[in-house]
Amino acid sequence: MSTTGESQDIEQATSAVTDAPDNKTRRYDRQLRLWAASGQSALESSRILVLSSSATATAILKNLVLPGIGHFTLLDSAIATAADAGNNFFLNAQESIGKPRAKEALPLLRELNDSVDGEAVLTDVKELLKTEEGRETIRSFSLVIAHNLDKDVLDELAGLLWADLTNPPLIAVRSAGFLAEFYTQFHEHCVSQPHTDGTPSLRITRPFPELLQWARELDFDNVDPTTHAHIPFVVILVRAVDEWRAKHDDRLPITPAEKNDFKAQVRAMKRKLDEENFDEAEAQAWRVWFEPAVPSEIAALFTLPPLEAPASSTKTGADLPPSPNPAFHALLRTLNTFVGSPGGPGCLPLSAALPDMRTDTESYVKLQNLYRDRARKEKEHFTELLTDIFPNVAQEINEEELDTFLKNSHQLRVLRGRKWGEWDKDKAAVVESLQISPRETGTHLALTALSTLLSQTPDGSSVTVDALRAEVHALVGKDVELPEEAELAIGELARSPTAELPNTAAFLGGMVAQEAIKMITRQYVPVNGYCVVDLIDSTTGVVGTP
Amino acid sequence: MAAAAVMNGNAPSADWPGRYYHVDQILEKPGPRTDPSFLAGSGVKEFLRDKCKILVIGAGGLGCEILANLALSGFKDIHVIDMDTIDISNLNRQFLFRPKDVGKPKAIVAAEFIMNRVPGVTVTPYYGKIQDKDDDYYMQFNLVICGLDSVEARRWINATLVNLVDPEKPESLKPLIDGGTEGFKGQARVILPTMTSCYECSLDMLNKPTAFPICTIANTPRLPEHCIEWASVLEWPRVRGEQKLDTDNPEHIQWLYQIASARAKEFKIEGVTWSLTQGVVKNIIPAIASTNAIIAASCCNEAFKIATSSAAYLNNYFMLIGTDGVYSYTFEHQQREDCPVCGGESLDISISREWTVDRLIEILIERQDIQVKKPSLSSGGKQIYFQAPPQLEEATRPNLEKKVSELIEDGGEITVTATTLPFNLSLRVKYT
Ligand SMILES: [Zn+2]
Repeated sequence: MSTTGESQDIEQATSAVTDAPDNKTRRYDRQLRLWAASGQSALESSRILVLSSSATATAILKNLVLPGIGHFTLLDSAIATAADAGNNFFLNAQESIGKPRAKEALPLLRELNDSVDGEAVLTDVKELLKTEEGRETIRSFSLVIAHNLDKDVLDELAGLLWADLTNPPLIAVRSAGFLAEFYTQFHEHCVSQPHTDGTPSLRITRPFPELLQWARELDFDNVDPTTHAHIPFVVILVRAVDEWRAKHDDRLPITPAEKNDFKAQVRAMKRKLDEENFDEAEAQAWRVWFEPAVPSEIAALFTLPPLEAPASSTKTGADLPPSPNPAFHALLRTLNTFVGSPGGPGCLPLSAALPDMRTDTESYVKLQNLYRDRARKEKEHFTELLTDIFPNVAQEINEEELDTFLKNSHQLRVLRGRKWGEWDKDKAAVVESLQISPRETGTHLALTALSTLLSQTPDGSSVTVDALRAEVHALVGKDVELPEEAELAIGELARSPTAELPNTAAFLGGMVAQEAIKMITRQYVPVNGYCVVDLIDSTTGVVGTP
Repeated sequence: MAAAAVMNGNAPSADWPGRYYHVDQILEKPGPRTDPSFLAGSGVKEFLRDKCKILVIGAGGLGCEILANLALSGFKDIHVIDMDTIDISNLNRQFLFRPKDVGKPKAIVAAEFIMNRVPGVTVTPYYGKIQDKDDDYYMQFNLVICGLDSVEARRWINATLVNLVDPEKPESLKPLIDGGTEGFKGQARVILPTMTSCYECSLDMLNKPTAFPICTIANTPRLPEHCIEWASVLEWPRVRGEQKLDTDNPEHIQWLYQIASARAKEFKIEGVTWSLTQGVVKNIIPAIASTNAIIAASCCNEAFKIATSSAAYLNNYFMLIGTDGVYSYTFEHQQREDCPVCGGESLDISISREWTVDRLIEILIERQDIQVKKPSLSSGGKQIYFQAPPQLEEATRPNLEKKVSELIEDGGEITVTATTLPFNLSLRVKYT
């Protein structure tokens, strides 16, 4: 190798040190491509309480320790049985029998990821629920997950976590044999990065001055052929809309006939048959009739009243805790003001993201810069409004959070949840759901019936088809005829009332961890209600959504 | 490359009373949806634990999960094949591996881990390619589970298992359970070779990989990806000559990153990063532990139900999307009569009489239900165009310019072969 080659190598080697990702980034590479550094940092500051160290509980934790949560606590007073040693991958087989289950599982979970902190607390949650100190411990976590917890204890726990708006969310998991469900309990969950595929407006029908100027001033008829074949579709459509409006009393195409006329108008702008940019403009013409100032889902959020503390709240008057997600709500209210503001565009803020299109580099970069400049100006306007209305939030919010919110303003989500068990009290709703989703509702009712019977006889000795059916009838009313799906679920649970199958545990391990990650990172959209799983038919479905 | 089976110190007698308390509730009595042929009790337990032999293909994201689930479910004779070694980026989900294992063969490390953790289970690893093994090897198994990220390998095992079926010998039909994930999405399916839709039947369901036109890359780059493609597709061969691009070599990625950055700067394009460069050139698919756990569990659950007949199994496709709530769809994917692997009929292709052989080859490469890279064509023993060896390529090259209609009559058949195609594809040509 020549000397120049060597010096080049040295240069590359040195720059490699700065450019190539560090070990942590390399380890998490495949997940960072989904939730980025912001999601990862949310995971790393989370503290998760898991009630039980059953096969299902450890399977859930495994899928949270691997991506790197901050801390977990296994709260479990159980002693590992021969059955536990047979179905739980995070026990040392026979060697663990007779020893505290959580303590045996802890090192096997921790070794999955050095950067995760974990502890085993050999106490029953019932003990914690008895004292204020214990209850405060439970409330101090970011998320609580319970598996097959005794019905009455779960009821008490759910009540404790529901009592204040800012208490941690709960995921309650139940399973037996091939059937399972989990419920997500939260007051409110706000998502500024849902990663749904909603496309932001390109402002084709509401062009900002610089974009309109480009479209108007471009001499479509006299530019050279190469330039003509590279006019970005956005510019073509803005021009076509401008011309259409001039001829149609400032209206947009509405009827199918008008839409066809509009497309024909775009086609007529073509000089040569093979100008793909004009084909693209025609294919993207839907943007002209589907470009609301504010999508209806987002407009609905503008009028969403803030949450009020539940009647059961432990605090009163001046001690009343603030509504959850105050910053998100401040941004939402500012967004509403922004849309109506005389100095604003009259619609949601522009997203700087531009899709790829058939054009040359120069035009694309020019267009991208126009969008970026405009997005920056609108962000400045938004920030002024925010500073005016919510000075504290404006001061505390970081740049990245604000950018994320604005970039996703067309697809923001706010979920409002319900206390665990509340839905079941609404018999009419449950009976209606039994008609609409017989399998999921039937399975949910059968699992609820099973938990009632198991709270009386934990060994399952009282669980029969008749006993389960009687419990289900007690839930929905004696006269309600149960669909076949409910009977199938009852029969299956009578067969395996206390079976925690390794595959069901692993399946739930993935499902529940996934929802936990979504809740912690506030990215993607979690389930709101009961997610019911049937591993005979291999189906999932959600019921009981508020 | 092969590794001998590492015998587990704990013989099957390692079963302790109560070990299978959970699974046995299922095996000791039928449920309402259990087939009447289910023989509850010791017979089914003995088959599962002492006789059933199962093959796991892939010891990666899905494979690690699959091995653990099978072992806990009571499968005791498990074989695993994987040709890869462990990389640091595997550790966020491949939970049988630790930092000290980086660089070691996945199959061997995974097998040892399972045997240490679950006594009485034998996992026999093979560190190598599935193509190294012959029909006799595959014939020894009762079931095959696939947790692969390669379409090519899946097509190969699918075609191999379909070809293995001998109608005279029912045991030659090996159920194939296939899983795959991408980010928060995944799918699991059960394939009964020749009886149900096979992997090849559903090839057109795959997402088409993003391909950037070469003229965009060369002349009108707009996205950072275009600059990265320019570096890897055009600049690498031009500057580095014969040297093969190794996407696992950080020095190579670094070089591409620098070239792509320079080009991006020249064109005022923003967004070229090291991570994006690596993502584009390696075609990295995001992967997380939770999705793998769901799909692997679904695959093993089907394997368990098929091996024991304890409950109805999946017919035949389970699709999961976990981005917006939990959405799943279970359906029966239909067998294609013109499936080149399991269908009896040849595939009809309608083309113009004016089309050249070259054009036909281009169309074949683009077709999502065929997915072939460098096809060679022949008809009734007559060579039309061959990609290799070089002399044959040269001899058949003049045919590329000829019209297909000059060489093949209407309704005539063309046989397509390729190194990436694990079977001969038969096309029936119709002129429009
Ligand atoms: Zn097929």
